[in-house]
Amino acid sequence: MFKIVMQHTHGLSRWCFFLAPLVMLIEVFCDLQQPTLMSDIVDHGLAKGDMQYVVHTALLMLLFALLGVLVGAGSGVLGNYASLRMGAHLRSHMLTIALNKREASNLAPATLITRITNDVTQMQNLVMILTRGMVRSPMLMFGGIVMSLIVCPNLAPILLVIISSLIIFLLFIMRRSIPLYTKMQQRVDGMNRVMRENLQGIKTIKAFVLEKHQLTQFKQANDKLLNSSIRASMATVTLSPIIQVMLNLGVVIALAYGGQLKVNGTILDGQIIAFVNYMIQITNAMVMTVNIITAFSRAITSATRVQAVLNETKGEVAVGTIANAPSGSSIEFSHVTFGYQQSRPILNDVSFKIAEGKWLGIIGATGSGKSALINLLTRSFDNYQGTIRIGGVDIKDMDLVAVHHKVTVAMQDAMLFSGTIRHNLTFGAVQASETQLDSAANVADATEFIKKLPRKYDAIVEQNGKNFSGGQRQRLNIARAVVPDPDILVLDDATSAVDQTTNALIQKRLLETRSGRTTIIISQRVTNIMHCDEILVMTDGQLTDQGTHTQLLKTSPFYAQLVETQLGGGRYYADESSSSRT
Amino acid sequence: MQMNHHRPGRNLHPEKVSLNNWKQTVKRILNYLAFARGKLILVFFLTIFTTMATIVGNRVNGIVVDQFLSANKMHTLFVICGLMAVMYIVASICTYFQNAIIIKVAQRASAAIRHDIFAQLQRLPLRYFDTHDKGDVMSRLTNDVDNINTAMMQTFVQLFTGIISVVGMGVAMLLLSPLLTLIVLLSSIMTYIFTRIVAKITQKAFVTQQDALGALNTQIEESVSGKQVIQLFDHEAQTMGTFNKTNERYTKAAFRAQAFSSMIGPINNGTNNVAYLVITAAGAFSILTHSSTITVGTIFTFLIYLRNFTGPINNILDLLNTLQLSLASAERVFEVIDEKPEKDIKHALAMTHTKGNVAFEHVDFAYGLQQILHDVNISAKQGQVIALVGPTGAGKTTIMNLLTNLYPLSKGRVLLDKHDVTSIKRSNLRRLVTVVQQEPFMFSLSIKENIRLGRMNATDEDVRLAAKRANADNFIMQLRDGYDTILSENAHNISQGQRQLLSIARAFIAEAPVLVLDEATASIDSNTESDVQKAMTDLMQDKTSFVIAHRLSTIRNADQICVIDAGRVVECGTHDELLQKNGAYARLYNSQFS
Repeated sequence: MFKIVMQHTHGLSRWCFFLAPLVMLIEVFCDLQQPTLMSDIVDHGLAKGDMQYVVHTALLMLLFALLGVLVGAGSGVLGNYASLRMGAHLRSHMLTIALNKREASNLAPATLITRITNDVTQMQNLVMILTRGMVRSPMLMFGGIVMSLIVCPNLAPILLVIISSLIIFLLFIMRRSIPLYTKMQQRVDGMNRVMRENLQGIKTIKAFVLEKHQLTQFKQANDKLLNSSIRASMATVTLSPIIQVMLNLGVVIALAYGGQLKVNGTILDGQIIAFVNYMIQITNAMVMTVNIITAFSRAITSATRVQAVLNETKGEVAVGTIANAPSGSSIEFSHVTFGYQQSRPILNDVSFKIAEGKWLGIIGATGSGKSALINLLTRSFDNYQGTIRIGGVDIKDMDLVAVHHKVTVAMQDAMLFSGTIRHNLTFGAVQASETQLDSAANVADATEFIKKLPRKYDAIVEQNGKNFSGGQRQRLNIARAVVPDPDILVLDDATSAVDQTTNALIQKRLLETRSGRTTIIISQRVTNIMHCDEILVMTDGQLTDQGTHTQLLKTSPFYAQLVETQLGGGRYYADESSSSRT
Repeated sequence: MQMNHHRPGRNLHPEKVSLNNWKQTVKRILNYLAFARGKLILVFFLTIFTTMATIVGNRVNGIVVDQFLSANKMHTLFVICGLMAVMYIVASICTYFQNAIIIKVAQRASAAIRHDIFAQLQRLPLRYFDTHDKGDVMSRLTNDVDNINTAMMQTFVQLFTGIISVVGMGVAMLLLSPLLTLIVLLSSIMTYIFTRIVAKITQKAFVTQQDALGALNTQIEESVSGKQVIQLFDHEAQTMGTFNKTNERYTKAAFRAQAFSSMIGPINNGTNNVAYLVITAAGAFSILTHSSTITVGTIFTFLIYLRNFTGPINNILDLLNTLQLSLASAERVFEVIDEKPEKDIKHALAMTHTKGNVAFEHVDFAYGLQQILHDVNISAKQGQVIALVGPTGAGKTTIMNLLTNLYPLSKGRVLLDKHDVTSIKRSNLRRLVTVVQQEPFMFSLSIKENIRLGRMNATDEDVRLAAKRANADNFIMQLRDGYDTILSENAHNISQGQRQLLSIARAFIAEAPVLVLDEATASIDSNTESDVQKAMTDLMQDKTSFVIAHRLSTIRNADQICVIDAGRVVECGTHDELLQKNGAYARLYNSQFS
């Protein structure tokens, strides 16, 4: 945790990180002077009737108060600077790691996002706590004890007993309540789940008349939550009355015992008053310390989660040396084997060759390795065995930029970024002309809906493109891949959410504009790939069949059955006997 | 002295809330608390007692210092101290009960509110869920109820004790010494003014900070989830460039806002320290000049009052704001509870059987002001298969939603065996018509329980049989826990095709005579696809079925194919008839198969 802070503070912010707590110490010191000086006024000024002494001491108190304000504010500024700078640096660092990471990550995007957003904010709090709270409260407590021992050593035993029993009590309560609160949190999650599912599945609930069933489920979750939150709260309910009574009893004992000492002449009024004041100060500081420890322990978890992201740095792609892409656009896979984990191969000894300018179709079930082929072709992953060549050049020797210049991909998940349509379409070709945009939009059958928008290409795209329908997003996604007019275009199940008429239209336009140019189409639908020059059938990571549509109808039972299912026609209400599974 | 001065700048810029009818809202919250009226009255008295005990105790401390710390009064000193000890112990016990009662009552009341709002959700019509954001409803169920809970548990009590403390202590202080009271008051006012000034200075920076934080989070979210796109188009440098700019904007604004607000703590602390010394000095001055009745004990008492007075006064302002927020939350919650629920007409028909003759007669439907369906006429005889085709958004699903009376139609009627569906009890009607949705929803229950949702009294054997008929048994048995496999939230642990098989099994077990099949638009796993189609075909046996089809290949043999476009039935007929007619259907067909 300390390491993370050190790695992400440099120069001024690191100075601030160390200076803030030191300056804070001065504030604590100033605060601690007040009761002692006050007791001096009472015992020396008042008792001796020395007005000058009273004025002097009061001025000294004022000085300490003002100095306290100054250093307190200063420490706040320093601490804030250190924590915010550290946060900015850390955020940027983590995002860079996330973007550069090419191998499959152990961290799902959702977790990664939480870690870069919430956990970094927690880390900022952590630095604030480290530089200020962690110094202030314990030092006030410790300093208070020291000062009261100096001012009136006679009353020290009272302090000792009260403080130690309070500490034991606090530890006891924390130990008991933390598991109860964890349990309560689980119950909260459980209840939220029932609620969330009720909202998401409302159509199913209405369709099957499940309202009563849902209410019963909810009642159970609600009752469980009620019980466990009452139990958790009751575990800590003793906290404030006990602290209150301990403190008050301490005051009473100090008065009684102090009174006796005063009669003996070993203590003065002012000392007793100062002692009581210190005791109040110490108890407050103690409660604050407990709060800070709780906050600290929460922030520590964040530090671990952040560290896990920072550890992800290893294993980036080695950069190739050939800066210019080869002119040829043939593709060759030769004995390619690949697995995210060593034990389970996603691709198993795949070999095929496709000549320049040909169309390649890939079909197969989910998880059969279709997309993995593309991930390797674009060098998203480098840790495969075998060789992949584009235009006869091993892609491992090519610079990444060169590969991505050569190949563009429209993936099934049509991710759009907030900004404008233009911003999204020009992702692969920043300098794209209006004509390029127009023709790409035309291929993707996106022209019509874009032109309907008041601001056309400059229309705003909201986060995740949520102001566009799924079909529109996929069409923009295809256009984005077409804009750079790549030598090799890949459509990875890119029309899964558009309706069939649009799908057919996009196929037609692609055929028109990309005839004689290397194009790869991955799909679950036979109609999308049947006209390709070569079709690969993938099953469980293996290339099981290869050929044209007509050839495959004869050689591949799997393919033939797909054609039967998808194009056979009249399945509903017709016979239901003829399908045999491969 | 040091109370919780290092409060974060959270309440610095209170949200502006507008309350519509706070009296009514308070009344309704009180209704939820009514079950514990006696206990709450007890809490009321306990609170007065404990607060008074603190005030009196502090005063007695001062008297003790003045009068009993001398040789001849040792005995009295002990007696007084003993009495005080007893009072404090009793007060603490009271505090304990006060807190314990409040916690239990508040938790029970929140649970009751949660229950009411959830029960109401079960009664609301589908339109409510269409027009309300899920996140918003969810936040009413969770955050808003939490806010009400906090209000009941803490805010009320703290506000109450705060006011008693301030008034009680104010009176006690005034009686003791108006001069010192003025000092305490001044320090409280100063603290308040400082806080306001800082709030004003930082207002703009806070707004910028929030704004930049929003942009920052959006960019992080997008970059991480769209990582592959960024990599494939070599967009890393641009992405990081934009991000770093926003990051810098956020950090600068946050520094301006937070550095200033972190000064509030030290300044208030300083103000308190100054008040502390002024009380001591002024007190000492008066004693030395014998200008008033101030004693050392008075100073002592005031020093403690200072600590107890400034805290609650600042707190009261914060609490009033929290209370307003909670009332606003309560209004949002009650708004849901007051929504008009879905209700059957009086004397609705209890219908448990149907032959399955369905007719849509001159049906118009409007969603708000927008008319969606125009004069729809479709009829299906017992056992027929009717296919609805047409572009996305044409109104196919909407027509089917009217069959189960999910929305009120504006004109015409929908008949099931000659009975208007709006006259049939909804719970009966929906058991007679089973809908297999495009994207079926699975709950995070076991597979068995999920299938059983089709008919709650189905036995395990029924479930297994339905799964077999739906072609789902195979994949279920391959799972490690078989039928007891718990589906993860949104059923991500099985494929979309498998989810569809489960929903077909659900439909099998429901055994309804009328069926609505909404085909998935998105392509599903080609392995499962033939299973799904086969299962759907089996499911349609001996039922009146409506199929909303996206791929014309699947419906060639339907008894009737209706082409829907822009909310109208454009043409109806068999496959061959329509092809011959060479109209809309023929055009659709040719676009897909040539």
